[in-house]
Amino acid sequence: MKHPFLIILFSILCTLNAISQKDILIEAESFINKGGWLSDPQFVEQMGSPYLMAHGMGVPVPNASTKIIFQEKGKYHVWARTKNWVPGNWEAPGRFKVLVNGKTLKNTLGLHADWSWEYAGKIRIKSKDVDIQLSDLTGFNGRCDALYFSKSKKAPTNSEKKLNSWRKEKLGETSTPQKQKAFDLVVTGGGLAGCAAAIAAAEQGLKVALIHDRPVLGGNASEEIRVHTLGIYGKYKRILKMIDTKHYPNGSYKAKYDQEKRDATIKSIKNIHLFLDWRAYDAKAEDNSIKYVDARQTSTGERIRFTAPRFVDSTGDGWIGFWAGATFSYGRESSNTYGENWDKWGELWSPEIADNFVMGSSVLWQTEEKNETQTFPTLPWASEVAKDHEATSGEWYWEFSRNDLHQIHDAEEIRDHMLRAIYGSFSNAKKKDENKKFKLQWVSYLVGKRESRRLIGDHIYTFEDVKKHTKFKDAVVEESREVDVHFQRNLKVETAPDFLSKAIFYETEKYYIPYRSLYSKNINNLFMAGRNFSCSHIGLGGPRVMLTTGQMGAAVGFAAAICQKYNINPREVYEKHLEEYLELIEKQQQ
Amino acid sequence: MSINTKLKIKWRIKGEAIFKFKNAVIIVYSIAMEIMNKAFNLKKNKTTYAILSSNWCKKSFLIFLFISLGFQAQKEPEYNPMFFDMKKEWLEITKDSILFSFKSKDTLIYHNLRLLSNKENNPRLFYADIKTPVCADGECKLANIKIYWNLVGNYVGYEIYEKNPLTKNEHDPFVKKDYKKLHKLLSDPHSILKLKKITDLVDETPLALNSLNALRGIDAVSGATKKEIKESVVKGGLYSCYTLWHLVHGDVYTKMNGFLKSIHSESLNKYFLYSPYKEYQKYALKKLTAIEFNHHTEQVLNIFKNSSPLTKGYILKKFPNKLLENPLVIKQLYNSFSKLDINTKTILIDKLKKSHSSAFKIVSEELTTLTKNQLKNYFNNLRQKPNLIKSRIKSNIVKTSSSKKYPYNYMAKKFLNQLETR
Repeated sequence: MKHPFLIILFSILCTLNAISQKDILIEAESFINKGGWLSDPQFVEQMGSPYLMAHGMGVPVPNASTKIIFQEKGKYHVWARTKNWVPGNWEAPGRFKVLVNGKTLKNTLGLHADWSWEYAGKIRIKSKDVDIQLSDLTGFNGRCDALYFSKSKKAPTNSEKKLNSWRKEKLGETSTPQKQKAFDLVVTGGGLAGCAAAIAAAEQGLKVALIHDRPVLGGNASEEIRVHTLGIYGKYKRILKMIDTKHYPNGSYKAKYDQEKRDATIKSIKNIHLFLDWRAYDAKAEDNSIKYVDARQTSTGERIRFTAPRFVDSTGDGWIGFWAGATFSYGRESSNTYGENWDKWGELWSPEIADNFVMGSSVLWQTEEKNETQTFPTLPWASEVAKDHEATSGEWYWEFSRNDLHQIHDAEEIRDHMLRAIYGSFSNAKKKDENKKFKLQWVSYLVGKRESRRLIGDHIYTFEDVKKHTKFKDAVVEESREVDVHFQRNLKVETAPDFLSKAIFYETEKYYIPYRSLYSKNINNLFMAGRNFSCSHIGLGGPRVMLTTGQMGAAVGFAAAICQKYNINPREVYEKHLEEYLELIEKQQQ
Repeated sequence: MSINTKLKIKWRIKGEAIFKFKNAVIIVYSIAMEIMNKAFNLKKNKTTYAILSSNWCKKSFLIFLFISLGFQAQKEPEYNPMFFDMKKEWLEITKDSILFSFKSKDTLIYHNLRLLSNKENNPRLFYADIKTPVCADGECKLANIKIYWNLVGNYVGYEIYEKNPLTKNEHDPFVKKDYKKLHKLLSDPHSILKLKKITDLVDETPLALNSLNALRGIDAVSGATKKEIKESVVKGGLYSCYTLWHLVHGDVYTKMNGFLKSIHSESLNKYFLYSPYKEYQKYALKKLTAIEFNHHTEQVLNIFKNSSPLTKGYILKKFPNKLLENPLVIKQLYNSFSKLDINTKTILIDKLKKSHSSAFKIVSEELTTLTKNQLKNYFNNLRQKPNLIKSRIKSNIVKTSSSKKYPYNYMAKKFLNQLETR
């Protein structure tokens, strides 16, 4: 849905659907005018929906607003589904109010410790056309998932189990998306791997759907996260040069130039059907073969069922594989599992007994120096994390992992912890005269993940493959970058900030990743590219950077073309057409 | 036999004077050649170059260097480190034997690694008297430093020759704070210098080119990197720091580690386990079998109390389940629960399912210090042992559910509600 008019029309249609009922559910992300609020779809699988967030870096953002047609006049009770994102003994940082027809409802919102319906107040609706607004009070990440208007005073359900079906019922959503689109290849996830996969397959004549849940492409390399691309280009320089970044410092505003290049490139490729701001939410396999991927527009809620003979999971978190029942791993294997011990670093490298203490996620940030003094408050809720750490910018080592947190299930808490670390460290730095003119210029609100689910393929790539430089006969990706595994600093020094990491480097000569690590072992028509490829925790350490994952994507895109040609599954490319496949990779370089 | 082949011989014979002498000759010869080769690569004027590169000049310089350094090499070693991160182990040393030679990746010069032992012949330290050229901008100087490593191969300190201080650019000697900074740098195995090549240390890009890049929108990334390097090295002593860090943390580590494995014994492991040094304790813990864990429980628990979260986690993961059934052990493990770091608490909560029931009670006193997931996990484990949900534990959960200061009190309420509806 590319035209803004269509988006508005769709919102109105959704609204019209809602007016037939006495109670009305309004998804915040569907607000027609989002003002300064941002749509955040990162945690849908955990909390149920995209939401709006007031990410004003300390300055309250302009109101978000929408128009709703009410069929019945009268007194309504209003709830907002929200949360206090830093519960504690201080004033909640993300407070906001709801305005209805210009009248501010009584209660301040964003006060309860977990996602729940908070009562905003009551309002008498006197006309059919109702104007609703969200008013941010703090600029510090207040969030609103949805508003609910009801003539009854009974609060909506907070039960995690019931909420999904309740939401569907209120929105009049059918179990199957009404729209269906067919492609030769469906690529989910538009990071470097997904983009490269789409380009390679489209070049070979495949009709490709590229589904991505953000408005811009590139994932961790995008201007929204701003990590520069590292690694080598292997045999895919021609393709990867279209989507890579320059080597600016992580977090640099210069990411926007590469963003323009990347987006324009993908949009110009005829065979790529780009679905920006669409987030996949389900995939179904029958007889170990995926039949479809369902996705939802992150603002309007519109849904499409994508069908294809083959699929690429480049979501990073391995969602397509997970929903389809692909076998996967998460966490750190014991050092004996694949012989990945490194005496010098012991437990920091590979543990004797397996655990879930994986590498963490980063949130990058930047400041700018202005001509005038800039103020920034002292924030007790941020100081609790930052302690006495001072900083005026972030880098890759601003990273958070803790053994009670899962990088997928607890991603919101991880992101929020990093926001507290950033605001607190900056607030500390601002107390120094030398930083008085510094102002927060940009703080990402997206979690830059390093490690999550790893889908299991016919080959699991491990540290042994790096050490032996195994030149597999199906080697399609190559890398010479050191294996680089991170650990949290506070593991060695308890008093160190818990949001900073260190890296352990294993220097090496070139190593190779086989094609067999790029398709699922048990889901017959599923490729994977990106950090969710088939590898061990240590195996991921080297190839997790974006030029390498981009190579994986391109390799998968070309394999999909061979699959299409012979109507075969990914494994059969290895078994029956390996020579032709490798030849295709060689030839495409010119 | 070429000089290089000679250099690569691993010296196994200990202490003989003749070997020491030979070795000194080799070191001096290597250093001299390295210095001269670097020096002769300078772009001097043709006449100077001709003089310097002539054979007689090389030989004279070599003889001079040989005499001056060779004299020092024959002296009896004395140990008096300027910085030393252990107790005074060097005072116990009565034996000094050459183990093997090692080198840094950037030079061809080999140095001898020595094992220092006490009068009972127990190994105590690794040691090397290093003389290495430090070259920058075509100019080479000799750095003379004695390095100490502990038995697990970690750098612990250094010593310099009083009359031969380390020098910076323009031959300025290191001052007190420079030596301190060098020690700090050498103590950091993760230093930024680790992945830097000698050519990566200084941005030699002319200013004009940088401006041009800025106009093109190309970032001068080296600026940021240099700042990182600058913070960790001695001002004006960049190349000394670089050379020494790579010597201390290079190839020699693996060799020391291999040697330690070759002399591993139960008594050495016991020495490590009961020593006050965290690295030794970690090494010993790693070697402990489940049976040995039983024999040394008291010491393992002592180590647990005073160790880093990393070691605490390792101990807990390795802790035999049988021991967790012992209430006395549980008392010691869990009693300081409130003061433990979050990661250790998580493991202890996870261990509840295998632990004596008293552990549940101890943790129940601290519920309001738990993270959301820890509380969830505590309740999950408690559900497996419903007979424990009474008296003190239950009243603590009730207290948690009504605590206004604890943000996850609603989870305790939910847990209690579920109990009632069961």
